[in-house]
Amino acid sequence: MNSGIRFLLWTVVALVGALALATIALHRGEQINALWLVAAAICTYALGYRFYSGFIAAKVLGLDPQRATPAERLENGRDFLPTNKWVVFGHHFAAIAGPGPLVGPVLAAQFGYLPGTLWILVGAVFGGCVQDLVILLVSVRRDGKSLTEIAKEEVGRVGGVVAYASVISILVILLAVCALIVVNALKQSPWGTFTIAMTIPIALLMGVYLRRLRPGRVLETSAIGFVLVLAAIWGGQWVSQSPAVAKYFTMTAPVLAIALILYGFAASALPVWLLLAPRDYLSTFVKLGTIGLLAVGIVLMHPTLHMPALTKFVDGTGPVFAGKVFPFAFITIACGAISGFHSLISSGTTPKLIRRETEIRLVGYGAMVAESMVAIMATVAACVLEPGTYFAINSPAGIAGQLPEKAASTISAWGFPVTAAGMQALAGSVGEQTLFNRTGGAPAFAVGMAHIFSSSLGGQAVMALWYHFALMFEALFILTVLDAGTRVGRFMVQDALGHAWKPMGRTSWYPSVLATSGLIVGAWGYFLWQGVRDPLGGINSLWPLFGIANQLLAAVALCVATTIIIKMHRAKYMLVTLTPLAWLVIVTFTASWHKIFDPDPRIGFLAQARRLAVNAGSARLIFNNWLDAIVTGALIVMVGLILVESLRQWFGILSGKKEAQTKESPFVVTRLAEEQV
Amino acid sequence: MRFLRLIRAVLREIFEEAAYERFCVREGFAAGKHSYGRFLRESDQSKKPKIKCC
Repeated sequence: MNSGIRFLLWTVVALVGALALATIALHRGEQINALWLVAAAICTYALGYRFYSGFIAAKVLGLDPQRATPAERLENGRDFLPTNKWVVFGHHFAAIAGPGPLVGPVLAAQFGYLPGTLWILVGAVFGGCVQDLVILLVSVRRDGKSLTEIAKEEVGRVGGVVAYASVISILVILLAVCALIVVNALKQSPWGTFTIAMTIPIALLMGVYLRRLRPGRVLETSAIGFVLVLAAIWGGQWVSQSPAVAKYFTMTAPVLAIALILYGFAASALPVWLLLAPRDYLSTFVKLGTIGLLAVGIVLMHPTLHMPALTKFVDGTGPVFAGKVFPFAFITIACGAISGFHSLISSGTTPKLIRRETEIRLVGYGAMVAESMVAIMATVAACVLEPGTYFAINSPAGIAGQLPEKAASTISAWGFPVTAAGMQALAGSVGEQTLFNRTGGAPAFAVGMAHIFSSSLGGQAVMALWYHFALMFEALFILTVLDAGTRVGRFMVQDALGHAWKPMGRTSWYPSVLATSGLIVGAWGYFLWQGVRDPLGGINSLWPLFGIANQLLAAVALCVATTIIIKMHRAKYMLVTLTPLAWLVIVTFTASWHKIFDPDPRIGFLAQARRLAVNAGSARLIFNNWLDAIVTGALIVMVGLILVESLRQWFGILSGKKEAQTKESPFVVTRLAEEQV
Repeated sequence: MRFLRLIRAVLREIFEEAAYERFCVREGFAAGKHSYGRFLRESDQSKKPKIKCC
């Protein structure tokens, strides 16, 4: 294509993107079509990928097609293996795309569709994609080392310890939040609970089938598992309609929490092939298919967004979670805009598969663009609901009211009309007893997704099936994170304890397996229990804590990235990572300050503890609020430490007092032929 | 056709069928119960399990 046509094409993309952004930003009081969001997203990502990632790849990082990657130099047929760039892209995307980009945007929709959409677009193009790209390159140039190892080498010992502690903290909080979302989605829902419960025997069956009958045929086994899951969804309606059977699957939140804690322990301690691996395959199979299906559904149906651009809850009085749009929208949506967790994957399996340095741009930046698009689809799914319905589902009983009539009148008084009868009819159409007080984001997303799917395929008659399919899809996603996360946490604890007493470090020594699994499950189980007993719904406390932890991990990753850019003698481009770093530090430090010290008891942990003390609340609830405040404070102190350490490095190098020495592996010319690129 | 081959390769990598095939080549095993059991044991005892993001 000649340069004139190219210029014209990109001008058109920029103009369409600007028009779409202007439409979603400037429309007030009128409903807009979801395709405007999709158009704005596609154009923004295309421009970001073509120009910004191109600039970073060429000027800032200097990706070198002649430099051999660790996949080539250390090829062993196991971890290190030169792999086709699209295969690595798919592999990386499957690892980074979890429930986060689905849940965060749904919760943030309480501010309206505008804040979340803008943050997802800007955050991804200038923050999340950049983080993933730079960390991937940094790891590739260091033989695929992990973020904690790189932090220790490049920023110093403090950096390494902080990175390790951050990873463990975020893991524990993440797992608690994930479990809480599942509990809130399944409580008093026999159909949903039955479907998810059935995924356990299905996974076990898949494990045995794979091990004994068709060894290694994972795709075939996953397809069979998927058909069985569909049968379980279909069968769930009979369960929910039969009082004799339904009572066994109608569970309260505390009972579900205990079941999940026991499940997490079993998944961590059982052999990986029996439960964890088959469920992972099944979840990935459903994930890839459903995300594609949702994209097609949105385009085919091009629904109207009923949620306004901005709601009155930008002032911090929102029922879903308390706090003003700044800073809370920016920690509520992490995955989809910028997620520190991605830096663990960009410095995990992926760098060991990269065949050429130049392919890092597609994998690092491109896969994050795809994940961000998933977050936009979740925003659409939440905002196609009538606002009254959205708030009825997502408002905890402690705020909207326990009884349907009371909750409906409270929500209507906020300016979002809804009736108890209307909600009852909606609940009936999706096969639930009630949809009030179903906090956590998953049920609202499931209703929105069912609305989109049933409008384009099957009509109202199959609304309940689509709803439970969406619920199963999310819960399966989340349980996979729970399985894998508990196991990763167990390995990390075993690694640390192994320094003190060698046998504890042996991953196959059963006493160590049981003890460390118990430690990790106990840690996230405690926070889960706290969330389940929280009169404000748990999500109000735990999701911001998770958002803060995740964004602080991103701050750690960007500190490492900026340090390395300076050491590479590219300090004039350091704003590329310094800008998102500065933004994250401002956002997370402000949010943490509010979460600890805000005088509003719905926001500040200490204010809540004081109020409980005055009202003779339970000692456990008071302790929990103190614990949350201490955890938030500890996270901030840790990131403060790595920031100070990084600043010392930067000033030392830039003032010439310190030599800029990176720990890159030596340059080796690639042996891969040009045609393989 | 090339596109379908690519999709198949991506899926085989994500679902670890390719990793199992490489294991068999590396260790000189034929595909079957025994080799798959060895492959799973190696994955299980790996200190660096695949992390899944939130």
